[in-house]
Amino acid sequence: MKITVNDKEVNLDKGEITVSELLTISKVENPEVVSVQRNGEFVDKKDLGSTQVKDGDKIDFLYFMGGGK
Amino acid sequence: MKDLNFVTKILHNKFLKEDPHGALHMPIYDNVAFGFKTAEDIELAFAGKKPAHMYSRISNPTIENFEQKIKAVTDSLGVIALSSGMAAIANVILAIAGQGDNIITSKHLFGNTFSLFEKTLKPWGLESRYADLTKASDLVALIDEKTKAIFFETITNPQLEVVDIEALAKIAKGKGIVLIADTTLTPPYIFNSKEFKVDIEVLSSTKYLSGGATSVGGLIIDNGTFDWSKNDKLKDDVKKFGPNAFLYKLRKEVYRNLGSCLSPYNAFLQSIGLETLVLRIDASCANALEIAKFLDKDKRVKEVNYPGLASSPYYELSNKQFSGKPGSLLTFDLGSKDACYKFMNKLKLVKRSTNLNDNRSLIIHPSSTIFCEYDQKLREEMGLRETMIRLAVGIEDSKDLIYDISQALEV
Repeated sequence: MKITVNDKEVNLDKGEITVSELLTISKVENPEVVSVQRNGEFVDKKDLGSTQVKDGDKIDFLYFMGGGK
Repeated sequence: MKDLNFVTKILHNKFLKEDPHGALHMPIYDNVAFGFKTAEDIELAFAGKKPAHMYSRISNPTIENFEQKIKAVTDSLGVIALSSGMAAIANVILAIAGQGDNIITSKHLFGNTFSLFEKTLKPWGLESRYADLTKASDLVALIDEKTKAIFFETITNPQLEVVDIEALAKIAKGKGIVLIADTTLTPPYIFNSKEFKVDIEVLSSTKYLSGGATSVGGLIIDNGTFDWSKNDKLKDDVKKFGPNAFLYKLRKEVYRNLGSCLSPYNAFLQSIGLETLVLRIDASCANALEIAKFLDKDKRVKEVNYPGLASSPYYELSNKQFSGKPGSLLTFDLGSKDACYKFMNKLKLVKRSTNLNDNRSLIIHPSSTIFCEYDQKLREEMGLRETMIRLAVGIEDSKDLIYDISQALEV
């Protein structure tokens, strides 16, 4: 499937993937402090493992530099 | 490894990025700007899609490290360090309330906080409504659809009143408004604001945390307990940032635009100060109790007020909420203002100064100083007496302090 991660098009050979798995394969820096948006909406940390990424999704990994998550 | 305890967490909290030299203390990054390898990288950083510091007014590695230590010991959602405790209060209020809104608080507040509410924010259309917060049920009638928060001091300065925090939290939760606690007199270690269901904690880190008045600073601690979709200023941010909406609003707007940043040097000093926080709190609280007991027995003193005294009306509540360590601020009354001044002028060790939680003991006559901008009537409403002296007890040897106080009481 084809998705957009932080404004870059990414082709995945997997048919199904969770946001949590995407975080791992994307090798994001400081994953403990990253916030995730899927199609412009916040994904709760507890839902990262159960939220499926779908073809055409726009995923953003965001950072609040400083003490925030 | 098992969950670490308070002091260990402070000392061993990991840096977010490993230091190239293995420095044990986060070095002082006293620079303004940070460079990027490519134009694309700087775009990603501005969009928040790359974990990188850009400009020290917004974030900085030394300040971030201080914030991370506080976050670790408070188990909070996030922390923002600011230039002062007053900046912390102003940032919180401006992030959650606007023109036509109101907050519920008490007139028994630190003088500058009251001034912020009445003189600075009120002309911009932000109303403060005052209640006796020690009678929590009284404030319910003041809450309406424009109420955004209840603001209180855990121990009021200098009235030294203690509110029932669980009762306030129950009201705030029921009404869907934010509960904000100024914990300057009872910082983390003494008081666990999350356990008592406080949503936002603000404090002056100038005091205890800094190492004993080494530098000016403030903190905002978001416990992650408030549903920000209930606040109309933040409901759009909630869709994008969920529970981080408040922290986002501060970091990317209010805190950034007001330029409320802590200096990296002060963040370094406060990080060092934090390492000995527990030792200094224990020492100063023990001294405060000993001095309060001494004054309480001394017939030359009219009245002594310290929540740690068994005779205090707040003794039990204070013990429950503040781990048996109700700070190191006490007040006592002499016969007149003149008697207060004569006593203060005879002190040889205790310094005449306007601060608290310095390692040195400090004394002040609040009515004629911190509250001098208010008229007599308002001062009375604020619980100020001409006969009252405020003593901020330090960590000196208690025998030396009691000797100094005793000799100064001699007519």
